[in-house]
Amino acid sequence: MKFSLDIKGSITPFVAVGRVFEEPKTICYPFEKKEIAKGYRGFHTNSLDKCIGCANCQDVCMNDAIDMIPIKEDRNPKNSSGCIPRIDYGRCCWCSLCTDVCPPSSLKLEEDCIWASDDSNNFLYMPKDK
Amino acid sequence: MENRVIKIYHGPQHPGITGNMSLELDLLGETIKGARTHVGYLHRGFEKLVERRTIIQAFTIVCRICVPEPDPNEENFARAIETLAGIEISDRAKYIRTMVLEMARVASLLLWIGGQSGSIGLGTVGQWSLFDRDLILDLFEELTGGRVYHMYIYPGGVRRELPDGFLDKLFELLDYLEDRLPLYDKVFFENATFKKRAIGVGVVNRDEALKNGYVGQVLRGCGIKRDTRRDNPYLVYEDLDFEIPTFNGCDVYARAMVRRGEIRESIKILRQIIEKMPKDGKIMQKIPKHRRFKIPKDDTFVSTESARGEYSYYIAGDGSEKIRRMQVKGASLIHGFTLLEKLLIDEELSNVAMIMNSLGICPPEIER
Repeated sequence: MKFSLDIKGSITPFVAVGRVFEEPKTICYPFEKKEIAKGYRGFHTNSLDKCIGCANCQDVCMNDAIDMIPIKEDRNPKNSSGCIPRIDYGRCCWCSLCTDVCPPSSLKLEEDCIWASDDSNNFLYMPKDK
Repeated sequence: MENRVIKIYHGPQHPGITGNMSLELDLLGETIKGARTHVGYLHRGFEKLVERRTIIQAFTIVCRICVPEPDPNEENFARAIETLAGIEISDRAKYIRTMVLEMARVASLLLWIGGQSGSIGLGTVGQWSLFDRDLILDLFEELTGGRVYHMYIYPGGVRRELPDGFLDKLFELLDYLEDRLPLYDKVFFENATFKKRAIGVGVVNRDEALKNGYVGQVLRGCGIKRDTRRDNPYLVYEDLDFEIPTFNGCDVYARAMVRRGEIRESIKILRQIIEKMPKDGKIMQKIPKHRRFKIPKDDTFVSTESARGEYSYYIAGDGSEKIRRMQVKGASLIHGFTLLEKLLIDEELSNVAMIMNSLGICPPEIER
């Protein structure tokens, strides 16, 4: 094997040493939190004043993640079916098609997106009324 | 003691690849005498899943076919449906789509730098490039609402308008990335360690490259100027001025240098897009509602240049709201089987991860 010395190629990588003195780029979670962009596709919210219980969201969901659950109180008088959507976060892929097809735009996605639970039933998520 | 050929499994988890794919290697000492690719760890049956869903529902699946660079899938799917349904999208939507595709290309190439440098032990470079990629993902988060799976390019246009000041932020990011490129040159592309390891390793036969259907950097690393953006232009690539970087070594280093050139060209393209993007125009054409969106009994074949090479979709409709057949042809299948098995013969075991990475193989895309 022919021996050759690449002096420039051996010295230039040492520029990396200069970066030792730079500020760290990482954040110290959970004490420090990353700002989530406006419009991030996080958890669902559903304005019960507007929801008409049409089940368009359930129909368009490709993962069958949405069930229409009967509701008695605090419902929109125009909600003829008497049901509102409940989302299974074990199946949801946050594609946001459900919010696209919502006729009164009651179903939306908020920026909040961190969820931890030791009970799998807690992943059947009832959207907050917002 | 007599030399014996021993058989080992390299993978499915190893530094040479994004995803899971194993290689069955026949070793004589440290030298590879035979290689067979084994896939099957990531098969999710997307082509079949698409047939059971309506067009609108299928749109959310296709981006998952390739994890490191989902956007060419979205573009292929959307363009195929638009071709079949006869939908013409606005110029503004075309520019936004091109911008998303080029941002995705830069992000994917930065991820590749991380993989390639990691495969030869230069871990620091990978940390830097993944941080830079994250800055692009931050912009994607703002634009599309998702960091990796954007689900943004939609049949009929794009789903959201650009946020306020987005193009300014992109412009600043391009300045930053351009300043970073000389640093990557110093620590990685001109690094004596990388050159020593990569030059003359994994040499592709130039004559076979075209005949066997290799694409992307493998072809351009052999000095062959092939790029779908030039050969079969789509969106607004015809109006943009860019070069197709080529290199003549046919080895791992040549493919790395081609990618280095592509980052520079993508930054150049993005600057032109910022300058030329129409201020007004509909981002989304009116399309039928979910159950009423039907495509005629016809078929089409569309191609997009992904960060790994030509990426194509065949889509056939049967007059209903569902797709009759969807076939994905990515760059990884031919590179992962036909090429890789041949390239590894008589190479050292320590070079396997580096050679795999240089071919840009993506197992999720092979298996779909």
